[in-house]
Formats: sequence, C-alpha cells, structure tokens
Amino acid sequence: MSEIPAPTASEYVYEVRDVGKRYGSVVALEDVTLGVRAGEVVGLVGDNGAGKSTLVKILSGVHQSDSGTVLLDGREQLWKSTHQVIEAGIETLYQDNGLAPNLAVAANVFLGRELTVKGPLGRLGFLDKKKMDKLAHEDLEAAGIGVPASERSVSQLSGGQRQAVAIGRAVAWARKVIILDEPTNHLGARQANEVLDVIRAAKAKGLGVIFISHTLPHVLEVTDRIVVLRLGRLVRDAPTSEFDNESLLGTITGLIGAT
Amino acid sequence: MTNQTVFRPATAPVSPSPKHDQPNVVARFFANQTAVLIIVLIGMVVLFALINPAFFSIGVFGNILVDWAPIALIAIGETFVVISGGIDLSVGSTITISGVVAAFAMQAMTTAGVSDALSIVVGAVVSLLVGLLVGLVNAVLINEAKLVPFIATLATLGAGAGMALVLTKGGPVGGGPPTAINLSVPVLGPFSYPVIVVIVLAVIAGAFLHRARFGRYTFAIGGNQFSAVASGISVKRHILKVYLLSGGLAGLAGMVTYLTLASGSPSSGLGDELNAIAAVVIGGVSLTGGVGRMSGTIIGSLILTTVTSGLIVSNIDPNWNQVVVAILIAAAVTLQTLRGATHRRKS
Repeated sequence: MSEIPAPTASEYVYEVRDVGKRYGSVVALEDVTLGVRAGEVVGLVGDNGAGKSTLVKILSGVHQSDSGTVLLDGREQLWKSTHQVIEAGIETLYQDNGLAPNLAVAANVFLGRELTVKGPLGRLGFLDKKKMDKLAHEDLEAAGIGVPASERSVSQLSGGQRQAVAIGRAVAWARKVIILDEPTNHLGARQANEVLDVIRAAKAKGLGVIFISHTLPHVLEVTDRIVVLRLGRLVRDAPTSEFDNESLLGTITGLIGAT
Repeated sequence: MTNQTVFRPATAPVSPSPKHDQPNVVARFFANQTAVLIIVLIGMVVLFALINPAFFSIGVFGNILVDWAPIALIAIGETFVVISGGIDLSVGSTITISGVVAAFAMQAMTTAGVSDALSIVVGAVVSLLVGLLVGLVNAVLINEAKLVPFIATLATLGAGAGMALVLTKGGPVGGGPPTAINLSVPVLGPFSYPVIVVIVLAVIAGAFLHRARFGRYTFAIGGNQFSAVASGISVKRHILKVYLLSGGLAGLAGMVTYLTLASGSPSSGLGDELNAIAAVVIGGVSLTGGVGRMSGTIIGSLILTTVTSGLIVSNIDPNWNQVVVAILIAAAVTLQTLRGATHRRKS
C-alpha cells in the first residue's frame, strides 16, 4: 500500500482492460476490455460459455483475473476479496441469487454489514435487529421492492420474492456500480418489467449498471450500449441503437461476423 | 422514487408472521422443536420417577448434571460447527488428550508443592490450550489442505486418541491436586461449580449464536457458502473461529471430565463425538447446515444424559441406552423432515 497508482483519464466509472482468465487449460476469458459510465446501462450478452459469469465474478471480486487490469474511477484495483469490492460501492446480483436461505429478509439485506448495538456489546458483535428490520424495510421500499421485511427465512419466499429481495439489496447498497446477472430469471412478464424499471431508476440515480441477460428484448429495451461475448472474447461493443433483435442474436451466435 | 416502480411479485403477499403458515395448533406445536424437546425431557423424568421414586432426587439430578457438563460443552461447539455446514469428530478425543495433558501438568505442579487452587486453574488453561490447538489443526486442514471437515476431524480424532494412549501408556494419570474431586460435588441444589460454569457458557454461546454477528455468519455460511462469500464475509476466517471454538470447548470439557475422575484417563472421551452429534441432532440442528438453535442442543444433551442415568436407576440394562438414543435421533430427524416438507409444499 506504499503507492496509490495515479488515476488515468477514463470516461468509465468501472472498467476492465485486456482481462483474461483460464481454468486449467480452459480459456474462459481472453483480452476482454469493457467499461460502464456513471448513469449508463451496459448490456452484457453471449451464449452459454461465452464468459459472462466469469467476467461477473472478476468484476465482483469473487475471482481474480490472470491477466489485464480492473479500474475503478480510472484507478487500478487489485481486488483481494469481495469485501473490498462491496466497500468500494459495487454491488452484484448473482444468477441463482446470492442470498443466505436460512436468514430472514432483513438479515440478508444487511449480510456482511450488520448494524450492532451501541456500547461494549456492540463491539462483541451483538446486533441491532430492530434497527436493521426497519432500515431494510425502508431500503427495499425506496428501491421499489414490496416484500415486507418479515422474520421468515428467505427460503420460504417464492422465487420471485427472493429475486426481489436480492435486487433490492443490491440497489440499496450500490453507490457506484450495480451488476445484475440474469435478474429477470424466475420472473413473470409483469415482474420482469418491474425489474427493468428498477434498472432505469438505478441509472437515473447515476449508477453504472451492467445488465446480463439471455432475454434479448429486455436488453434492447433498457440498455444504452451492448457488449457481446463469444467463446471468451469480446466480439462487439456498440450503442444499443445499432442492434435489433435479429442482428443481436446473429452477433451472439456468430452468424454475423465481428465488426 | 415513485410508486410506479414498486416491484411487487405476483405471488401471494408475505404474511408478517410464520404462525400464519401453520394449519392448526397441533402442527404449530410440533413445529416448535424446543417445546417438543422440553415435553420429552419432562416425560422422561416423570417416567423414570414412576419406575423408581429415588430417581426424583437432588443427588440423581446432580449426577446427571455432572455427566451432562462435558457433553454439553462439546455439543455447544458442535452446534456452531454443524450449523456452519461442517462436522467435528475430534471433540471426543480432544476431551481425552486435553484431560491427559492437563493431568500431567497438575501432577507436576502438585509434586512441586503448588497449591491446589493454582494447579486447577493452570490445568484448566492447559486443557483449553490443547483444545484450541486441535481446533487450529482442524481449521488448517479444512481451509488450507481443503479436506472436507469429516476427514479432517477424523484425522485429528485418531491422532488425539493415539497420542493420549502413547503419553499415558494406557493407564490413568493421577497424582494431581487432591481436592480437585470436591469440585464435582453439588454446591447449590444439584449444581456443582463446573455445571454452573457450563450453564453460563451455554447462555453466552446462545447469545452469540442467535443475537450476534458471529452466529449470523455461521448460519449464512452453512446455508449457502457462496452467499456468504458474495456478501463480503471472510469464510475462511470464520471457519477458523468456529473450529477454534469447538476445540476450545472440548478442551474445557476435558478438564471437567478430569474433575469428575480426579485423573486423566486415556479413554475418558472415547465415543463422545457421537454423543455431541446425537445431542445436536436431537436438538434440531440440521446436519446439512444452516439450521439449529442453542436451546435445542442444551435440552438434547440433557435428554441424552437423563436416559443414561434413568436406565441405571430403573435397573434396566444400561446397554439399552444406545437403542433409546437411536430412537430419539430417528424421531428428531423425522420431525425435521416433516417440517421441511410442509415448508416445501408452501413454496
């Protein structure tokens, strides 16, 4: 920690440059460069095995890349843990959401950043459950999520409700960037539309949003820019206006060549 | 934010209280494992007292609690371990090795003319340190060597038991403070000092499990380890703490056992890991992790030791003990499975 690298001029709030990742002999990601601006929604699409989830895990600090750099506000970062990434204001919603099934809604919203009571008991880690229940409820409401912060464990909620809690948690805590990996999974059409509204609200708040989805109409509807991955490589990075459903599908499957 | 973005899943509204899920009073009662356990415990006491009225006495209760104290200590540790998604098979042999090492230390001090009180305090500290060391080895094997907890703690179980035999050459280690045995005598009704200490530790452990960050992380890791990682929790560090806790408590259990025997025995904790696991399972802790309550473990361990004493007082072959315990485990797990099934039907 002797020297903080000087920020390089960057239009992006969060970006990766030339990142690569292999698992044994399998190349999951190779020389991928992408960034998201504040108040921008970037769609990240690609077939299964294109490297989307690997990229998400590098962006969220679950994995470290083998090569390339990660920059936040133009400053190079060497994330060592998810904790650092979260502390930096970057929130991630994982596919098959990352909730603790046996904890209640409020406990999940505050997982990893619990509020403790005042005084010596607080230093021992004793929790201020009432305050967390209240704030979790307010946070979810503010994020546009209508699941009451009840005492029930989230495993007893429906898939849609769990997804809502996971999204609400991410939106409530994100200060800079929010990464949503398949947030409309398990959801019906109306609920999916509501998720898209949540994304628009996050954008309006000035957050950078990275939206990963297989549902191309959603991607076309809500994003400003679309990045297409194929077999671990970036094949297209262009404004959403340059795509339609057909050309996007063609780019993903490789029927339309990279530009 | 305006109301138009309020995201309300189309499914039925979440009821604010779990009580609304239960179809009727009977089902609700059986869903509360602690209540069931208390009824079972009281039922046992009544049954044994009917068979032999001598059972219902402070003396017998005192004996039950002396037997209970070390089992409760390791069961408390096991509760944290199992809720975190692991298992600690080494607690029984940790009782043995820590009791033996502490016995050697106290023997040396007594021989050197050190006062009984100081010898006992040092003995307790030594047993605690031995237990912490076993816990550290377990955590390193799990975190760094990536062994599954079952194998890691099976290894330390064998190593601890073997080392105890080597050190003692198979015989008990006596010659410690002569007044140590007095500590196992009840001082307040059926309660002796070690029992009082264990009760205090149980309350503290329960508070940390259910009201503090430590417990919350334990549940989070056992429920879905990835969710804990994704939430910025240092899983390795927490796993280390959990196995240190289990080891340390097993070390103290070794000292408690020493106090009842007035010697360190190479067989004192033999098989106690199964008692610890039985106690937590009867108490409603799920072996798949993420579920459990400290109150369940405490009553579960009381039921275990009550069965043992009750069979003896009732003049029934004490070997039936294992059969009764087996039935209790099966019943407890069945209850859990039934409860799980009701939850699943709802989601």
